[in-house]
Amino acid sequence: MNAMNAMNAMKLMKAAAVARITWRQQLAYKTDFLMRSSFLLLILFVFVQLWGAAYQGDTTRVINGYTLKQIIWYLVFTEAITMAVPALCGLIENEVKSGDIAIRLIRPFSYVGYHYSSYLAEAIFRFFIHLAIGSIIAWTFAGPPSFGVGWAGLFALTLGAITIAFLLNMIVALCAFWVEETRGMEFVLHKLQFTVGGMLLPLDLMPEWLQRICAWMPFQAMLYFPARTAVNYGEASLLQQFGIQAAWIVVLAAAVMFMYRRGVAKLHVNGG
Amino acid sequence: MTMVALQTHALSKIFTVKQKRAGLTGSIRSLIKPQWEEKIAVKGIDLTVQRGEMVAFLGPNGAGKSTTIKMLTGILHPSSGEAQVLGLTPWRERAKLAYRIGAVFGQKSQLWYHLPPIDTFDLISRIYELDRSEYAARRNDLIERFELGPYLNIPVRKLSLGERMRCEIAVSFLHRPQLLFLDEPTIGLDVVVKQRIRELIREVNKEEGTTVFLTSHDAGDVEELCSRAVVIHHGGILLDAPVDRLKREVLSRKIISLTLASGFDPTMLPSQVGTEVLKVEGRRVKIAVDLQQTDIEAVLGSLIGRFRLEDVTVEDPPMEEIITHIYGSGGG
Repeated sequence: MNAMNAMNAMKLMKAAAVARITWRQQLAYKTDFLMRSSFLLLILFVFVQLWGAAYQGDTTRVINGYTLKQIIWYLVFTEAITMAVPALCGLIENEVKSGDIAIRLIRPFSYVGYHYSSYLAEAIFRFFIHLAIGSIIAWTFAGPPSFGVGWAGLFALTLGAITIAFLLNMIVALCAFWVEETRGMEFVLHKLQFTVGGMLLPLDLMPEWLQRICAWMPFQAMLYFPARTAVNYGEASLLQQFGIQAAWIVVLAAAVMFMYRRGVAKLHVNGG
Repeated sequence: MTMVALQTHALSKIFTVKQKRAGLTGSIRSLIKPQWEEKIAVKGIDLTVQRGEMVAFLGPNGAGKSTTIKMLTGILHPSSGEAQVLGLTPWRERAKLAYRIGAVFGQKSQLWYHLPPIDTFDLISRIYELDRSEYAARRNDLIERFELGPYLNIPVRKLSLGERMRCEIAVSFLHRPQLLFLDEPTIGLDVVVKQRIRELIREVNKEEGTTVFLTSHDAGDVEELCSRAVVIHHGGILLDAPVDRLKREVLSRKIISLTLASGFDPTMLPSQVGTEVLKVEGRRVKIAVDLQQTDIEAVLGSLIGRFRLEDVTVEDPPMEEIITHIYGSGGG
């Protein structure tokens, strides 16, 4: 038992070291950050105008359970999560194409574990930055985020949400072990997140039949759950949402491990 | 503890490569009915390396050197055959083996490009679970030996290739690997840096008994570092012999490249035994010298006596030529 604990502690130390170096690397990309952030400002500004028109500027009106303020903050939260997710597919595809994967595989650290540590560090960092920037717009145009315990719900569900995003992206990324291009699949994945994941629109605003389909897909657990819980806490059981997230994490992680084992055995490392 | 560092038996790797037909119609046909072709990268390699040995693994591009190294480090799974590296099967016990081996791929960097090398040192120390005080001592020792002090806090992207390679090799020594794979460690470096890197590798081999398995295009790396050379070609072993023998029989040629101040007049060339004019291109002349029949100094001496020279370099013949030579002499 003690040996087991020691081993897990070692793994955590490794993950922490990867996280640290990822943060250091992130800080080296200041320009990239500024670009993304100003883009976020632009998107949110457009949506504020759009929703303002849809609600005809009426701040008391409620559409399918959302006021104008809630909708705008909902968007800030989904955008913060979406834009926090690093471009994993491109990264892994490049590692496979250039053969740099060799550098990862000579280390005593699991390949998927390494990428998860690095991904999580980058995602959390970017989530908070984008959340801060998005808040400026929402606060200015829609009023303060007085969601009380909703904030706790947001943070609690965001960890599971970005983990699910990692696993979904990893499944697509690992296809690079078999096919040359994963960009097409990545495109489809992102568009699914935008729509049935509830990035642009809370699922409650969608037609009944579509909502039923969405309930059976993992995408709602990565954007809709945390953002809806933040603005409308208590509308759905937090425990149930955790349960759904956990179930998807188990299923998707099993898929990732299966694909990785199959893929790495037939890997063709290019170059050098 | 056994004295064998690594051993392979009939180790083979076959890749299936999708064939692309030429042109647009070809692309469309490939889409409908893809053609696969098997490419044998490594076929049936039998090899044993003892602990503490420094072995050169040579061969022209595409001979299967890197593929073999990648199988021995557990990155690639072989198509058939067996291998034991430090008593472990690399592709089945990759992570376990990783603690005990190191690898430098000359064309791939393990340093974090936008960060100073010291950050990579720290990361690697965590990944290999090094004890903190031991790590600090080891790092400082390597920094001193490889003279990395001035570069440690400069982002890697701003380092020269030679500075970077010194960092790459130093990092790979950090966890005291028992076996080190060096894949083209001196590629693209200038003579002085090459020399320095060879000295350092030799030093660590001597002091720590590190087994070194090296691939290189540079006959100089082989001559100066290794006691044994294994030459592979088309995926199979062509020659496995002491470097001394290789030197005597194959590396006994040197190439002198001259740039003359005036045009070349072949009649002025000394009709010396053991020299052969390989190429004349305006004022540039390449002469091969057979060291078994004459020596470099004598040839250079008589050349300087007869011509006005602008530039002279003396080099080893390229690897391709060495291979051809081994082929010609019946594979040793």
